Amino acid sequence: MIDALLEGLLLVLQWKAFAFMLLGIALGFWVGLLPGLGGVTTLALMLPFIYAMSPVEGFAFLLGMHSVVATTGDITSVLFGIPGEGTTAATILDGHAMAKKGQAGRALGAALASSLVGALVGALALALAIPVVRPLVLAFGSPELFMIAIVGIAFIASLSAQGARGMLRGFLAGGLGLMVATIGQDPQAGVARYTFDSLYLWSGLDLVPVLIGIFAIPEIVDLIVRGGSIAGEMPGGRLNQGALEGVKDTFRHFWLTIRCSLIGTFIGIMPGLGGAVAQWLAYGHAVQSARTVEEREGFGKGDVRGVLGPGAANNSKEGGALIPTVAFGVPGSSSMAILLGGFFLLGLVPGPDMLTTHLAVTFSMVWTIVLSNVITVVACFLFLNHLARLTVVRGHFLVPVILVLVFIGSYTANNHYGDVVLMLFFGVVGYLMVAGGWPRAPFVLGLVLGKIVENNLYISVARYEFAWLTRPIVLVLLALAVAVILYPLIQARRSRSRSNAHA
Amino acid sequence: MRNALAFIAAFTLLAVAPRAGVAQPLSFEGKTITIVCGFKAGGGYDRTARILARHLPKYLPGTPNVIVQNMPGANSITAANHVYNVAKPDGLTIGTFNRNLVLAQLTNVRGVKFDQTKFAWIGSAASESTVLAIRSDLPYKTFDDLKKSGKTLVIGATGPGANTYDFPLLLKELLGVDLKIVSGYSSSSDIMLAIERKEVDARAGSYTSLRPFIDRNLVHPVIRAKAIEAGIEQLPVDENLAPNARARAVMALRSAPEVVGRPYVMTPGTPDDIVKAMRDAFSKAIKDPELVAEAKKGKMELEFMPGDEALRIVKEVLAQPKEIVDDFRKYIKFGE
Repeated sequence: MIDALLEGLLLVLQWKAFAFMLLGIALGFWVGLLPGLGGVTTLALMLPFIYAMSPVEGFAFLLGMHSVVATTGDITSVLFGIPGEGTTAATILDGHAMAKKGQAGRALGAALASSLVGALVGALALALAIPVVRPLVLAFGSPELFMIAIVGIAFIASLSAQGARGMLRGFLAGGLGLMVATIGQDPQAGVARYTFDSLYLWSGLDLVPVLIGIFAIPEIVDLIVRGGSIAGEMPGGRLNQGALEGVKDTFRHFWLTIRCSLIGTFIGIMPGLGGAVAQWLAYGHAVQSARTVEEREGFGKGDVRGVLGPGAANNSKEGGALIPTVAFGVPGSSSMAILLGGFFLLGLVPGPDMLTTHLAVTFSMVWTIVLSNVITVVACFLFLNHLARLTVVRGHFLVPVILVLVFIGSYTANNHYGDVVLMLFFGVVGYLMVAGGWPRAPFVLGLVLGKIVENNLYISVARYEFAWLTRPIVLVLLALAVAVILYPLIQARRSRSRSNAHA
Repeated sequence: MRNALAFIAAFTLLAVAPRAGVAQPLSFEGKTITIVCGFKAGGGYDRTARILARHLPKYLPGTPNVIVQNMPGANSITAANHVYNVAKPDGLTIGTFNRNLVLAQLTNVRGVKFDQTKFAWIGSAASESTVLAIRSDLPYKTFDDLKKSGKTLVIGATGPGANTYDFPLLLKELLGVDLKIVSGYSSSSDIMLAIERKEVDARAGSYTSLRPFIDRNLVHPVIRAKAIEAGIEQLPVDENLAPNARARAVMALRSAPEVVGRPYVMTPGTPDDIVKAMRDAFSKAIKDPELVAEAKKGKMELEFMPGDEALRIVKEVLAQPKEIVDDFRKYIKFGE
C-alpha cells in the first residue's frame, strides 16, 4: 500500500502529467471564478482532449481542473456575493458580509486556507477509505439517505434567527424551498407539478440561476442604493494585512474546519446527495459552534467561521465523491459522472480493480487533488490583496461588470433565456426576503434537499413499507436530527440562565 | 410569433434558393455547423454528438467547423422545437434529440411544436437496445426461470417515460411478470448502486449503459426489446412473448424508436443537395477508423441508418390506429 502511495506520487510528478495538471489548474481557476460556467460542463467539454493521454495524465488534467473550481469559486462569492459555482453559495452569507465590512482580504484568506485544509482532509479520507469503502457505501441505502436529508433540514433550526418568530420564519422559508423543489415532472407518476403548461418548467428549476438571483441581486440593489463601494467607507489600509489574518483564523478554529471537512467528505461519499448539500450542512454546523446568543446573531453579518465551514466542505467533498466512483463505478456527483466517462476513455474499468491492480493510479488521483489545491492556494495568495481591493472600487464602476457576470452566469447554465427570467424573479424574491428580515439560507437548503427527501422517502416506503424505520443507522440519524433541532433551544436557555446568574 | 418565424423561414429560403439555382458546387468553407443537442453535456446523446463533431468536417465539402451546443429542457422538446421553428434551413444547424419525441408527438404531448415527418432527416447514428438485467446472485438464469419462480422481483427505476420504467412496466402489465417497480432513483447509476446493496433486484436500461456491469458479472440480461446489438441476439424479445396482438402492438410501439436511437435531423425545407451531402458525411464519418477506435474506447457502438429509413420508421409509428395509441397511452407517459 505504501509502495502504491509513493508510486502514485511519482506518477503525478512525471513532467507530462505535471504539465497537464498545471494546464487543468489554469482552466479550473477561471471556470471557478466565472459564475454560471460550472465545473461539470467544463469537465464534459474537456473530455475529448484526453484521448491521447495516458490514464495518469488524463486524470491529472481533469482532476487538476476539477479540484480547484470550488476553491476559486469561493473568491467570487466573497467579493461580489455572486456564487462562483453552485457549490460555493454558502460562502456568500458571511464571506460577502465580511467584504462589506472591509475585511475582504481576511475572508478570502480564510476561504482559501480552509479550502486547502478541506482538500487535504478529503484526499486523506480517500486514501484511508480505500480498504473499507465498499461496506461503508453499501451500508447507506435509500432510507439512510432520506434520514441524512432530514438531518439537513433540521439544520434550518440553526440557520434561522433566534426566538419563536425567527424559527417560524426559518421553517416557513425552508418549506417554501421544499415546495419550489417539487416544480417539474414527478418521478413516480409522471405528473407535471406547478409547470403551468410551460415547457421550461417541465424539468424543474436549475439551481444556478436561482442562487445567483437570490444572493447576487439583493447585493447589487444594495450597492446601487447605498452608493460608494462594496466595503462602504471603511478605511482601505487594513486590506493588505487581511489575507494572513484569514489564514490565522483557520488555525484559530482548526477543529471546526476539520469537522466541516469531514462533513463535506461524508456527503461526497454518499452518491445521490450532490455537491450543493455539503456546504449548507457545514454552514449550519459552523453556526452551531457559536457559544452565546450574541455570537450566534453575528452569523450572516460577517463571522469568519461562516466562511471556514463551507470553504472547507466544498473542497473536501471532491475527495469523498471520488470514492464511490472509483470503487463501484457509481459516481458520487454529476461531475464524477462525467469523470466516469473519462475512465472508460482511458481504458480503465472503475470498480474493485481500481483498489488492487490499479491502486497506484487511484493514489495518483489523491495526489493530484492535494498538489493542485496547494498550487492554487499559493498562487491565489500572491494577488489576494489586490483582489480584495476590488471591494473599495466605487459601485458605479463595479455594478455594470457584476451585472454582466450575473446575466451571463445565469444564461450559460442551460443556454436558455428562461434562466435569465428565473434569475430576475428570484432576485426580487431574494430582495423581498432580505428587506422583510426572512432568512435565505433555509430556503436554499429546502430547495437543495427537496428532491432527495421526496425520492428517497418514496423508494424507502415502496421497497420496505414501514420496516425501514427500524434500521439502526436510520434511528441514529433520527436522534441526530432531533439533537440538531433542540441544540439552539438548549443553547439559548443555558446562556439565559448564565446571564441571569450574572445579574 | 409563428407568422414571423414562417416569414423568416420563407425569406431565408428565398435567399438560399437562387444560389442553389446556379448549381454552384456545395461548400461549407469557412462556415460553422452547429449540432443542437437536447441534453446536457456528458450524457450519451451529447457524447455521440461530440465524437461526430470531431470527425464530420473531414467528410463535408469545404471542411467546416462543427460544434455542439447543448440545449437541454423539457426532455429535449425545446431543442426539437428550436430546430423545427427557429433555425434556418441552410444546413448549418443539425438537431439531435430524445429518440422518444416521436412518441411525444403520437400521444399529443403539450408543447410539441414539430412534425417529425417534416424534418430533413440525416439519419440515426446508433441503435439502442433495451434489456432487463437481473442480479447475478439470484437463482434465476433466464426469463423463463423468472416467470416460473412465483416470487416478486423488485425493479429500480428513474421514472415514467424512461426505459428503466416503461420497459418493465409493459413486462408486468402485458406479460404478467410479477414485478414491483420502485421509481425515483436520480440516475441509472444510482440504481446500479441499489443493486449492489441488494435494495433492488434488477434494472432495465440500454445495453450500452449496462455493459460494464454485465462484464464484471454484477448483473446479467434476461430479456430484450426488438432493437438488436451484438452480444444479446440470443435473448428472448418482449413482443414475441405477447399473449395477443394488442399487447404485441403496444410493446412494438414502445421499442420502435430505439432502432432510431440517436436521431439527427435538419430544419424542414433544407435543400436536397445539403441533406445528401450530410447523409454522405455521416455515413463515412461513422465508418472512419479513428472514430471507430475512439467510440470503442468510450464504450459506444455507432451505426448509421440513413435518413429515408429513419423517416420510414417514424412514419410507421405515427400511422398507428387510434385504439392502439389509446391503449399505449394507458401505460406510457412521455417524460424525463
